Amino acid sequence: MRVLLVEDDDLIGCGIEAGLRQAGFTVDWARDGHKASLALDTTAYALVVLDLGLPRVSGMDLLKRLRDAGKDVPVLVLTARGTVVDRVGGLEAGADDYLGKPFDLTELIARCRALLRRAQGRSIELIRYQDLTVNPAAQTVEIGNTRVPLTSREWAILMQLLTNQGIPQSRSRLEESLYGWQEEIESNAIEVHVSNLRKKLGAKLIRTVRNIGYVVEKA
Amino acid sequence: MPASIRRRLMLLILTSIVLIWGIALISSYLQAKREVSEWEEARLAEIAQILALLDQRNLTTLANARIDLREEEQGGEAGANDSDDDDALPRDALFQVRGANGEVLAGSPRLRALQAWDLPVPPASGAQNMTLGGEAWHTFTLRDTALGHTVRVFEPANTRSDLVSGVASRIARPTLVALPVLALLVWFSIGWSLAPLKVLSGAIRARDINRLEPVDIGRAPTEVRPLVDAINLVLSRLQHSIERERAFTADAAHELKTPLAAIKVQAQVALAEPDAALQRVAMERVVQGVDRSARLAEQLLLLARLDVHEKLSTAPLKPAAVAKDALLANERNAQQKNIHVTLTGDMRAEINAEPVLMGILLDNLLDNAIKYGRRGGSIEVAVRREVGRVQLTVRDDGPGVAPGDLARLTNRFFRATGNQATGSGLGLSIVARIAEHFGASLHLGSGIGEQGLAVAVSFPAYTGDED
Repeated sequence: MRVLLVEDDDLIGCGIEAGLRQAGFTVDWARDGHKASLALDTTAYALVVLDLGLPRVSGMDLLKRLRDAGKDVPVLVLTARGTVVDRVGGLEAGADDYLGKPFDLTELIARCRALLRRAQGRSIELIRYQDLTVNPAAQTVEIGNTRVPLTSREWAILMQLLTNQGIPQSRSRLEESLYGWQEEIESNAIEVHVSNLRKKLGAKLIRTVRNIGYVVEKA
Repeated sequence: MPASIRRRLMLLILTSIVLIWGIALISSYLQAKREVSEWEEARLAEIAQILALLDQRNLTTLANARIDLREEEQGGEAGANDSDDDDALPRDALFQVRGANGEVLAGSPRLRALQAWDLPVPPASGAQNMTLGGEAWHTFTLRDTALGHTVRVFEPANTRSDLVSGVASRIARPTLVALPVLALLVWFSIGWSLAPLKVLSGAIRARDINRLEPVDIGRAPTEVRPLVDAINLVLSRLQHSIERERAFTADAAHELKTPLAAIKVQAQVALAEPDAALQRVAMERVVQGVDRSARLAEQLLLLARLDVHEKLSTAPLKPAAVAKDALLANERNAQQKNIHVTLTGDMRAEINAEPVLMGILLDNLLDNAIKYGRRGGSIEVAVRREVGRVQLTVRDDGPGVAPGDLARLTNRFFRATGNQATGSGLGLSIVARIAEHFGASLHLGSGIGEQGLAVAVSFPAYTGDED
């Protein structure tokens, strides 16, 4: 799950980045509005965590620009100015949720998950697919009552496919969700991870779409 | 007893009135006395003339009778007895008529008792005062040239002063009655005139610290208007300062939330991090966050203290020497960014300032220059003596500040766009406040080679016993 973090403060930024990584997200961190807007133009993010007090392009402007461009990626806004006016302004400008500083990291992650879930049209945290039970918060997958251990890469690919059921995901799309900006993309990695997933979860779960990529069919 | 305008006005007004009335009374009394005296003299002369016309028989009869001048005076209105100017004592007039050879033709027998029977007769007609039998008497002498008679009329002097004091008391009596009435009227008039002050004090007392709009007491008198205006001026200043204070508190709280958020996030990362090395990194960042909050709190306290406007004790000091200390203190940071710092100019120039604040000023300027300067760049600190001033300049060759942002650079919490360094945006506002404290002016411009930022602080030169 690739998340864009837009935060100008070094200490807060690297803290959130680490926290989101711990929670299993792939994080890109933009330190100003300009970089954030470039990132949003080039990459499909599952979620944006946006600090409103940004240098160069303000968070609010960025949000308006994003919504004007017709992008409906969920946006969680962070700000130190927690007045009602600020919150209402942020929500009306297109934010999906709002968190005032100083916030609780676990709450931030829970809210991120909730936003993703809502974006995927689910109302409960658990994803059930055939005999599979996937818990995104705990990052666990069970077949029946047996826990199946997954690596973080396998987990990310499974989540990308399960949250886009019926929509084939190209290799590059899957890579995007796997690697942040700093990470080197390994060649053939997707194929390797998919084949591992098939071994662990059953060969029929992920279908190959020739010349396109992979898909988990609608349940 | 506290000073009271009403009491003071009462005292002044009533004292003036009593004084003026007193003077008027005395002058009326003197006037009355003179008039009475003239009138009495004329009357004595008249009696003398009548006596001069009388024959021997009538004179003898008259001499043995009593002439009470009171009856003469009151004449027809004897019934209307006004006790005020009534003479309490009988007013016997005595007389003596002498013939052409000085022989006594007739005389009041009482003159003998007063030993005035043989008094020498003055050579000319006219009035005269004398003492007879221990009392003051007025006399009038008339020499009748036709008959050769000399007529002399005697009257006790006290009768006249009785009359005069009667006139005086008649004038004074209404005045004495009027005085308390007047005092009462003055008392109420003053109270009524001072009513706007009471309204004003009520309006101010009812004022709440959250409601500082101007006082309006309607049509205030011209004397009270300046007071109302002055109070409104103070209120508006107070309002302004409270608003500034509130904005500052809000900004400060907002600014403090950022490092707190960082600390919390990093601490939570550390708690959740299974990898010991990464946990350590997160904990180090927690410490960084705490340092940042502490520095911010220090800066806020400093600004608050500078706002108190307390007069600081200043002493002559050399900016170059303070700069040298600041350079040493910031050496490590400069080395970390491989920045070359130089100090040039007049090492002996002196200004009047307080060393600790001066140190903070230079420390902030250097800290900013290093923080926002170019890695591997240079910083120039210069002290220059000008006419009556000493200018301290800190220049860097970093990315500088957009011209549009220059003016806002000294605003509290303002951070120029695009800057990556951590900071609260308080440094330059602290510099500006310290400079203001020492009567120095602050100028921001472009730095080394039209790059970076230059901050110039121009102090009034110390002109004590140098040279």
